[in-house]
Amino acid sequence: MEKATVVVVGGGATGVGILRDLAMRGVDVMLVEKQDLVNGASSRYHGLLHSGGRYAVKDQEAAKECIIENTILRKIGKSCVEASGGMFICLDIDREQDPTYEEQWVQGCKDSGIEARQISLDEAFRLEPLLSRHVVSAYLVPDAAIDGFRMSWQNVDSAKRYGGRLKTYTEVIGVITENGTVKGVKVRDYFSGEEYEIACDILVNAAGGWAGELAQLAGLEVGVQPDKGTLLAFNQRLTSHVVNRLHKSSDGDIFVPHGSITILGTTSMSVPSAEDTSTAREEVEKLMSIGEKTFEHLRDCRMLRAFAGSRPLYIPPGGSLGRGASRGFAIVDHEKQDGLKGMFTIVGGKFTTYRLMAEKMADAVAAKLGNTEPCRTAEEPLVPEVSEADKKAARKYFPAYGTDLAATRLGPERFARVTETLKNNPEKRELLCECENVTVGEVEEMAKELSSFRINDIRRRTRLGMGTCQANFCALRSASVFARVGRDEGAKDSLGQMKEFLQGRWKGIRPVLLGRTIRETEMTRALYELSFNVNGHRIGGDKE
Amino acid sequence: MSEEKDKAIYSADHCLSCTSCMSSCPVMEATQEYRGPKLVGPAHSRMHFSQEDYEDSLDFCSNCKSCDRACPSGVAVSTLNMLQRGEYYRTHPHKQRDQMLAHGEDMGKLVRSLPFGAACANLGMKIGKSLGVFGMLGIAGKRDMPSYASQSFYSWFKGYKQQPSDKKVVFFPGCFINDNEPQVGIAFVKVMQKNGYEVLVDQKFNCCGSPMVVTGYLDEAKEHAHNNVARILEWKAKGIPVIACCTSCSLMLKEEYGELFGEDEMHEAGANVYDAFEYLAIMEEKGELNTSFKEVKESLMYHVPCHLKSQGFGTPAKDILEEVPGVSVELADAGCCGISGNFGFKDDKYEISMKVGAKLFERINISQADEVICDCGTCRMQINHGTQVKPCHPIEILAKAYGE
Repeated sequence: MEKATVVVVGGGATGVGILRDLAMRGVDVMLVEKQDLVNGASSRYHGLLHSGGRYAVKDQEAAKECIIENTILRKIGKSCVEASGGMFICLDIDREQDPTYEEQWVQGCKDSGIEARQISLDEAFRLEPLLSRHVVSAYLVPDAAIDGFRMSWQNVDSAKRYGGRLKTYTEVIGVITENGTVKGVKVRDYFSGEEYEIACDILVNAAGGWAGELAQLAGLEVGVQPDKGTLLAFNQRLTSHVVNRLHKSSDGDIFVPHGSITILGTTSMSVPSAEDTSTAREEVEKLMSIGEKTFEHLRDCRMLRAFAGSRPLYIPPGGSLGRGASRGFAIVDHEKQDGLKGMFTIVGGKFTTYRLMAEKMADAVAAKLGNTEPCRTAEEPLVPEVSEADKKAARKYFPAYGTDLAATRLGPERFARVTETLKNNPEKRELLCECENVTVGEVEEMAKELSSFRINDIRRRTRLGMGTCQANFCALRSASVFARVGRDEGAKDSLGQMKEFLQGRWKGIRPVLLGRTIRETEMTRALYELSFNVNGHRIGGDKE
Repeated sequence: MSEEKDKAIYSADHCLSCTSCMSSCPVMEATQEYRGPKLVGPAHSRMHFSQEDYEDSLDFCSNCKSCDRACPSGVAVSTLNMLQRGEYYRTHPHKQRDQMLAHGEDMGKLVRSLPFGAACANLGMKIGKSLGVFGMLGIAGKRDMPSYASQSFYSWFKGYKQQPSDKKVVFFPGCFINDNEPQVGIAFVKVMQKNGYEVLVDQKFNCCGSPMVVTGYLDEAKEHAHNNVARILEWKAKGIPVIACCTSCSLMLKEEYGELFGEDEMHEAGANVYDAFEYLAIMEEKGELNTSFKEVKESLMYHVPCHLKSQGFGTPAKDILEEVPGVSVELADAGCCGISGNFGFKDDKYEISMKVGAKLFERINISQADEVICDCGTCRMQINHGTQVKPCHPIEILAKAYGE
């Protein structure tokens, strides 16, 4: 039987953080995730690394945690954090609604240790030309953007260097206990359906929105309320800073420039299951009508897609729901609470403070194991950076504007391999994904990873198919590359892989099927359904 | 006031990545070295945030604007390219030839300031060519540089007595007509006189800036734009339109200033500028065109310049000339001629330029037409270079039809 001292369940930000932290303390730790990494809230969110400004009035504890963690992540996560800076803008309507809020906010930032510098309106419009001219005041704060995909894989890469292990597409279907003590978990392989057991001394439930369900497998109850937030991705960077409304935190009031796109969010709505990542036209309309207060031309901007994820809000008995519920996190020692030895649940919290949450969780686990190694996750960078010299030397093999991005996605070792591939095989410098500037060489490198089971897994690590055409041109190409170099048998099913990939794109496109998005989609349909006839329709209809 | 969002730079967001631009790009058809309009313009505009960088193959864009015309979504692809080229040259040195290729106006002024300047310059260029001096500068040695006319248009105009009229237009000759082919401007003045118009000139205009834009001297082009726009608006205030016979000049004055620099006045001024035949067509629509043409027994082959097509007013030169008894006009319909301003003058672009033009050359070579007409000066030079045929501007045929 496979064995690990600690099994962590859930490949979200918290889970990968704990994996890394425990591995760095020398603990034998394994992470199991039922899908690919960050399938839940950890990628289905803004991608905002909060400065804490958003919490400066309502929750100064959270604000202080944010600015501390923000500072740490900007230091250790240079390859996944884009230190774009943030801007808080107060609109005339915000000031009318609550004339005292701005003052409270300025004081709140000061008290929480967040540097908020007021700038002139001229300066604000110079920095963000598309801003509504209804802005009455503006402040700069150290907000940043953080890429959930890269951050999670970089945590895993870091953990692996210390012996940490990862199994994706491995779902926990049972918790094995003996005499009130956790002995292991029963898991099922997503693709083969094979079921087997993994023994462990300690089980950490970091399943986020699914934490309640996992607890139930052990016969326990954990109050988790999935709170769905819907977000919109726009085709271009509308801003260069994160732009927040300076008013009482509300839906749809944050824009995050994220790589080549901008994300607007979010809504807040209680849903029965974290599996519910559906988005509706009404939510899109709601976000647009709020967003266009900040950017009046928002409706002229091309939407790429809508997506949704569920914040796992921890609901202690008698707690409240929705935006009023605590954004804080909780660690439950089930030995103390329920008399089950060897099991913890960590739930709630926010992405920005994932490292801190992981540290607290790892402290508790280490204490149980008698491990006294200190936490070092705040000091050591997630991944070593690719040197400037290596980037410079590789520049001539990469597409323009593509070297630095590839370096942050790949990390030094893979980057060196891809550079060598491109150097020796000029045909692999061709762009497989034209919108996001991804070469054939890079896609091949990621397709070869043992964790690549689907084109979508490659997508999350390269941004393949996430740009303007939403896989229109790269679905076909990536299916062929994957079939050729993929390690998993499933890669050979190129038609199935391609359809699944396109279907995933369609899910997010459907709710934003307006204007230019319709035209784009019609082109996709014409290419795949007509020209390639991927659904295999017969001439003259399908009827015999 | 026009909105920030209306600036050309934001039109990149309209790109659906459909690739129409790539399939209609004449340069891409001629060489694989150019990554193509979609990738260089709209696609890259999404990636500029990532690092200080530049696209090497941007140098291959000739600004012929075929991409803009092919785009079903109204993306100002070529403008995105030219803005990016301008950015590049903010931090990179120009090639030696660029200074010369972008500043034909200064060269012309210099030539005119010297006694026998034109003759000396023409001789100099011939000698220079035979000694391979142009090649050393990075200019295509196989090409003749445009030779200077013995008398410039402005100088001819000063001595020309017009019939005064209340109906006036301002003629913008542009550098090439003024210095190299004044006969085109002369034909224009005579055509307008025959229509009861008095032609004015305004020597405070300077070069439209087109050669600067394509060579990456954006700031300088903007200075020219400011001067010219102020002039145009002054004439506009007097109710007098500005007319050009060179389609690259008229496109620049009408549209490209606004697209490149996005200032409200530029759009306003652009609305007061017309291409010569565009204006004649408007006159005809109002029933004001003098159609008492004499017979001109000529079959014409018409190469429509890219920069005329970009103005989107059809081919009024064909429509009007076909009303002249004895004239037949056949469209060459063979795409871009390949020279695209100063593009084909660069030694490293010469072969591409000739490859692009091959279809047109072939069409002209096998044609039975008596004469080739084309509104654009550099197109005419390219046709002459590629076929030995000497084309003229359609306004010259019209002047003939008026007995001039």
